[in-house]
Amino acid sequence: MTMLRESQIMKIHYITGIAALFVVAVHIIMRLIMPYDMSLEYENVIANYHNIPYVILLESILVLIAIHGFNGLRVILLELRQSKAWEDGVTILTIAAMMGVIAYGTRTIIVVNGMGFE
Amino acid sequence: MEKVADRNNREGLKGWLNPGRYGWERVSYWLQRLTGVGLLAYFVGHIYETSSLTQGPDAWNAMLELTQTPMGHLILMLVIGMSTYHSVNGIRLIFTHGGKGLGKPGRPDYPYDAISLNYRQKSGIWIALILAAVAMLYGASVLFGGE
Repeated sequence: MTMLRESQIMKIHYITGIAALFVVAVHIIMRLIMPYDMSLEYENVIANYHNIPYVILLESILVLIAIHGFNGLRVILLELRQSKAWEDGVTILTIAAMMGVIAYGTRTIIVVNGMGFE
Repeated sequence: MEKVADRNNREGLKGWLNPGRYGWERVSYWLQRLTGVGLLAYFVGHIYETSSLTQGPDAWNAMLELTQTPMGHLILMLVIGMSTYHSVNGIRLIFTHGGKGLGKPGRPDYPYDAISLNYRQKSGIWIALILAAVAMLYGASVLFGGE
């Protein structure tokens, strides 16, 4: 079923995990450069989405954590039970969920970023 | 003759969660998985939460009223603790899977403690737990302290 060896998938898992650490750290720092409540005000959040480097950061977080998170879930589910049907089903479902979350999050980023041109 | 299906999943979740068998390493094993699943659930929820931005300020403020509550802040504190533990313990696991910190192979002597489950591994687990607690305290000061 899988096109990659598990050792290669684990390398991707580790790389996405370490990369996510850095981008999430920047995301959290952006909440702390002003009082926390103020950073969540609509105008301030929209301003973040109009900042192109920050938009790239958000998309990176989305992709990295979706890959890392859903692969982690796949590994847990494969540890619990083993059979060809289960392993194929889990792989297909986690890849579909990962793509769905990335698509939904990307839609938010594109729509909110586009609001600045209205 | 035992069927293949009978050999699979003998203990299921019970075996997965049993902390008695391998001590702290087992606790670390299931904490890594529980925090991972918890963080994935939060991530999906956070994607849904931020999607309210597309519907304008009223929808965003309505979402904040739902999430920026004492209960919401407690959940965020838990997320901070989970992410810190998962990250620090994850880094320990990356080194361990690369063969670092496992010690040298040796003759198994009574009481047959595995050499790989040594003080380095235990220290890593404790450092992850302590840093998670510190991060949660800092998170509490920001979320409840009005900084």
